[in-house]
Amino acid sequence: MSGLQAHGVVRSYGPTPALRGVSLDVAEGEIVAVTGPSGCGKSTLLHCLAGILRPDVGEVHWRGERIDTWPEAARSRLRRTEFGVLFQFGQLVPELTAAENVALPLLLAGTGRRGAGRAAREWLDRLGVAHLADVRPGAMSGGQQQRCATARALVTGPRVLFADEPTGALDTLGGEEVLTRLVHLAREQGTTIVLVTHEPRIAAYADREVMLRDGVVDPTGLGLDEPLVPVAGPGAVAR
Amino acid sequence: MTPVVALRLALAGNRTDTVRVVLTALSAALAALAALAALTVLAVPTPPGGRGVNNAEQYSNALLREPGLRGGTAVALLLLAVPVLALAGQCVRLGAPARDRRLAAFRLAGATPGQVAALVAVEAGLAGLLGTLVGLGTYLAGRVLLHRPDGRGLLPLPTDVLPSPSAIAAVVLGLPVLAGLAGVVLLRRVTATPLGVVRRVRRERPPGPWAGLLIAAGVAAYGLLVPVGRWYAARDQDPPAVLEPLLMLGGGLAALVGVVVGTGWLSHTAGRLLHRWGRGPATLLAARRLTADPWAGSRTLAALLAAVIVGAGAAGLRASMLADMTANRAIGQSFAASDDFYLNTMDLVDRAVQVAVALAAGGLVVALVEGIVARRRTYAALVASGVPRSVIGRSVAWQALAPAVPATVLALAVGLLLTWTTGGRPRSYGGQTAQVCPGDAAGCADPSALRTVWVPESVVTPELPWGQLAGVGATALAAVLVTVGVGLLFLRTSTAVEELRTG
Repeated sequence: MSGLQAHGVVRSYGPTPALRGVSLDVAEGEIVAVTGPSGCGKSTLLHCLAGILRPDVGEVHWRGERIDTWPEAARSRLRRTEFGVLFQFGQLVPELTAAENVALPLLLAGTGRRGAGRAAREWLDRLGVAHLADVRPGAMSGGQQQRCATARALVTGPRVLFADEPTGALDTLGGEEVLTRLVHLAREQGTTIVLVTHEPRIAAYADREVMLRDGVVDPTGLGLDEPLVPVAGPGAVAR
Repeated sequence: MTPVVALRLALAGNRTDTVRVVLTALSAALAALAALAALTVLAVPTPPGGRGVNNAEQYSNALLREPGLRGGTAVALLLLAVPVLALAGQCVRLGAPARDRRLAAFRLAGATPGQVAALVAVEAGLAGLLGTLVGLGTYLAGRVLLHRPDGRGLLPLPTDVLPSPSAIAAVVLGLPVLAGLAGVVLLRRVTATPLGVVRRVRRERPPGPWAGLLIAAGVAAYGLLVPVGRWYAARDQDPPAVLEPLLMLGGGLAALVGVVVGTGWLSHTAGRLLHRWGRGPATLLAARRLTADPWAGSRTLAALLAAVIVGAGAAGLRASMLADMTANRAIGQSFAASDDFYLNTMDLVDRAVQVAVALAAGGLVVALVEGIVARRRTYAALVASGVPRSVIGRSVAWQALAPAVPATVLALAVGLLLTWTTGGRPRSYGGQTAQVCPGDAAGCADPSALRTVWVPESVVTPELPWGQLAGVGATALAAVLVTVGVGLLFLRTSTAVEELRTG
């Protein structure tokens, strides 16, 4: 049975439709990349799946339970405990040190300060930034900040990690490094990842790619107007 | 760049820029009103003749009637402009991130750093001019509307005189120039590059408690007033005319700066204590914010603390007056022509303090909302990752209250000390004969009704005005609480998921 499911999700911003009936199944432990051009509704879909946004129409289920009807407090609790989220930028609190940033979700969950600090340092170590534990985000590079943010997203041992353009603000090398570690740790823990990206190179890390186009899943997966029709010989396609 | 282009570019902006301009104009209008009111009081002509015969008898209020009191009244009105200017200082910071992007866009389009500074000056100057013109219009309309002589033909306000045209022009044109200059000065640590605005942020050292020295110097200056007076009296001389105002103004200023700077130290210390002893993420967030920028508290609370110092000083002065009145009545004298006059004057001071607290609260609201809006992306990311808004709300409340509570207590203590150094001493009276009469003043007019009695020596010690101090402190902290409440209303919109959209 699917861990995470979306059924006919519709979501608009005022008169502008962002999602026009998206259905998606994500199995537990699977890494799915949601791709598509700018404005196609990738981030909106991720926010609906993560319970950050409520769909106007449609349903979102997690482990068989419909979560989109839950109140805000319950969805927040779900994001704190079973889900983790990772954004392109703006996620680290600038005044907190790296270790304090990573410890924050544990403190929210009621873990003692010492225990949360110890776990935070362990995760920073796993992401190769243990030496930055007492450094504030302003003194780090973009890649280092993103690795700290990854540690924060994973420190509670989430079942699903939602990553919205996690390498969008990084250079090629930095992006590769963050994603390699992220995927490695997710596989190690059996964490499901829903990854939003517009870069094919990043999408290649996923088990499966789902392409959105104008608010719906593109059945061709290639962003074409019509399905592909095989002609001539093996491997050749034509429209 | 022609003036028309500068004008067009300075006025180009989003809704936040419009709000900033409106609030800056409002502050300028209030400051212009305070300045024009003070100038009007000073413009009241003094009839020829010496003390007692040179009163401006057309007014019902002694503060306007007596030439010796008009200077103080004008200064009090001007002091009301202090929290207004603090409010303007906060308004100028409103919408800074959006304005930074706009300035960078101007540079990208080819504007020089000087032209960018000129645009900022034009924006602030125009907002100031708009405000002073509104202030002038309100003042002129108010003169007409409030010109209401009472049954005896006496005026409650100086609505029969106008400041000189040059003085009015100085206010209406001078304040916008000051606003423009202030805008440029605030940009001194900012370099607008085509790729963004770079702030030269110095790594601030944690503030030390040296502000205590300033406070001590201020209190000592007030403490010198009586000994200096006695020293000159012993030599049968009058002290130099500037000495007492110098000690009072210099001492008051030193104490005020000491309290404001000390608030930086208090913020830092409160942050450290919260970090050490606080439990939970709200206190952690607040603690780190307080230690990262301890001067934010000083900046935002400055006007409020100034009002608290004046309020506490007024409480001390009232207690001192009451002690004098008790002593004087015991020996059959009145404190002055009418005791009520001085108490009514103190009531006016108290009301002015309340107005100042309200204005300071306006500045606090602007600062708090600006702080929340500027950090909306971080807050939105925290909420998206499951941090309840209540945690962020509590951290904002901690950030506001942790420095405000000790700073208010400090300001109360300093304000009281300033007047208590001279006014808090015990008064001894009696040990002499006094003529008394039974009944009212009419009865005393008959010399045969007077009796001579021996008044034994006794001492009156002014009572510490705990009640009034508590009232001033509670009003200030209530203002902070209300501003936190108003600020939190903006938290929901500032943590909306739209802040995180990347595509």
